[in-house]
Amino acid sequence: MSRPTPKAVLEAYGAIARVNAGSALAYRADYVVGILGLLVQVFLLRMVWEAVYADRGSVDGVDLSTTIAYATLATVQYWLSNPWNFSVIPQRVREGKIAIDLSRPVSFLGQVVAGQVGTTAALAPFALVAVPFTVLVGGAQPPPSVGAGLAYVVSLGLAYVITILLSSLVGLSTFWTLEVGGFFMIYRMVSQFLAGALVPLWFMPDWLRTVAEVLPFQAATYTPLAVYLGRLAGPDLAAALIVQAGWIVLLWLVLRLVWSRALHRVVVQGG
Amino acid sequence: MRTFKLYAALVGAGLRGEAQYRGNLLVMLVAGMAYQGIGLAFVWVVVDRFGAIGGWTLGEVFFLYALRLTAHGLWVVPFSQLNQLDLVVREGEFDRYLVRPLNPLVQVLTRRVGLMQAGDLVGGLLLLAYATTIVDVDWSPGAVGFLLLAVVGGALVEVAVQLGLSGLTFRLLSTRMLRIQVDSVFGTFGNYPLKIFPSVARFLFTIVLPMAFVAYFPASVLLDRTGELAVPSWFAYGSPLVGAALFTLAYLFWSRQTSHYTSSGH
Repeated sequence: MSRPTPKAVLEAYGAIARVNAGSALAYRADYVVGILGLLVQVFLLRMVWEAVYADRGSVDGVDLSTTIAYATLATVQYWLSNPWNFSVIPQRVREGKIAIDLSRPVSFLGQVVAGQVGTTAALAPFALVAVPFTVLVGGAQPPPSVGAGLAYVVSLGLAYVITILLSSLVGLSTFWTLEVGGFFMIYRMVSQFLAGALVPLWFMPDWLRTVAEVLPFQAATYTPLAVYLGRLAGPDLAAALIVQAGWIVLLWLVLRLVWSRALHRVVVQGG
Repeated sequence: MRTFKLYAALVGAGLRGEAQYRGNLLVMLVAGMAYQGIGLAFVWVVVDRFGAIGGWTLGEVFFLYALRLTAHGLWVVPFSQLNQLDLVVREGEFDRYLVRPLNPLVQVLTRRVGLMQAGDLVGGLLLLAYATTIVDVDWSPGAVGFLLLAVVGGALVEVAVQLGLSGLTFRLLSTRMLRIQVDSVFGTFGNYPLKIFPSVARFLFTIVLPMAFVAYFPASVLLDRTGELAVPSWFAYGSPLVGAALFTLAYLFWSRQTSHYTSSGH
């Protein structure tokens, strides 16, 4: 059998992404309820920040409106890139469909990534609808400069790649243990916090901030937001983007390594 | 009495089943604690950095959080299967529960044991044990007694709301997302001093959704903060009674609603 042409491979990934987008859309009622949950969360964060700021003008050089803008954007961004079913792998393995996936002439990791991109694409319109409401319930502010806005787009793209790589890596744990529900929950909660999705890194105690900075999660959520709000500029901005790119390379290498091991552990259920 | 014996036997069987997977049991416990712990981590970092929230110190907020989480854990462990009620009704599984000689609710609740939920209870108790040592409260027998009643009352308030909404499943067939959203409102707003919210929200969280009775009112009593409440202080002292009353009403409502069950036909 000859190798498929690059065009055929791309078409195959496109088809997989569309299928996943379709199955994500089957649960659109859940997303509508999910948006309500999102608004509730944003409202709570705003109330909490207003209460702790009380009459203080700024804390650590950050004023109340910037903190609320951070909280609002972080909540929406995290919701969009980390759906509850953040990995398609457990379901494929549990239902034995992994056998079909592996026999396809395109790489399994590629299929996983395509599937996740498809899910995000299906969620994106819901996020767009939610944004004006979250801004109303929470708060927002424009980036301080055009440059910061453009850098945000670049940083957000890199952050999304990091998110996909992390989700895939965690998803591969299914090959070692079929019961991943508890493990996924722990991963989700710990990574969400260390990503700065709830509290910006600048408010964390020094030791916690150091822990967060040496881990990849902050590069997937905190970095683009700090860029957007102008907290990272000039040389700091360049360094932050390089760190993001570095995580992409590193995580990609780890993912390849883990996948080559996982392949030897495939269990096909009901096949 | 007979119902209680059967309940114990069914829970025992469920536990023996889960004990076959010990590694998973531990992971699920930790997962439950992680799910509840992220909110605590948020409060802790924020209040630690800013000193206080609405005048409440970090220790006092921890105590409030612990009270809420323990009450939550106390109901959610025995009632975890309410989560699956939509499925039970839609798939016609409820047929079986109607013909067996045991209260159908007990049969629904003993379908499986809630492992992740046990993490909520364990986490709540650990935090409560710690929080009682850091708050400035004279733990007289009266105070300890009120604390115990408050935890049970808080659990009853939450379970009353969930059981009442579950009763609607027999007519609406799908109430799970609604119940999850209501639960998450309790789980997010319920951990903060109610006074930091605008007055409309305070009213809603007291009268419409009786969240304030779960932990905020009892914590105000124990921390000697009833003076700052927007309601008379006997409201706060009566929290445990509110729990008992609401649960009774919710159970009666649920029982009436079961008569609207129609099997899915098979």
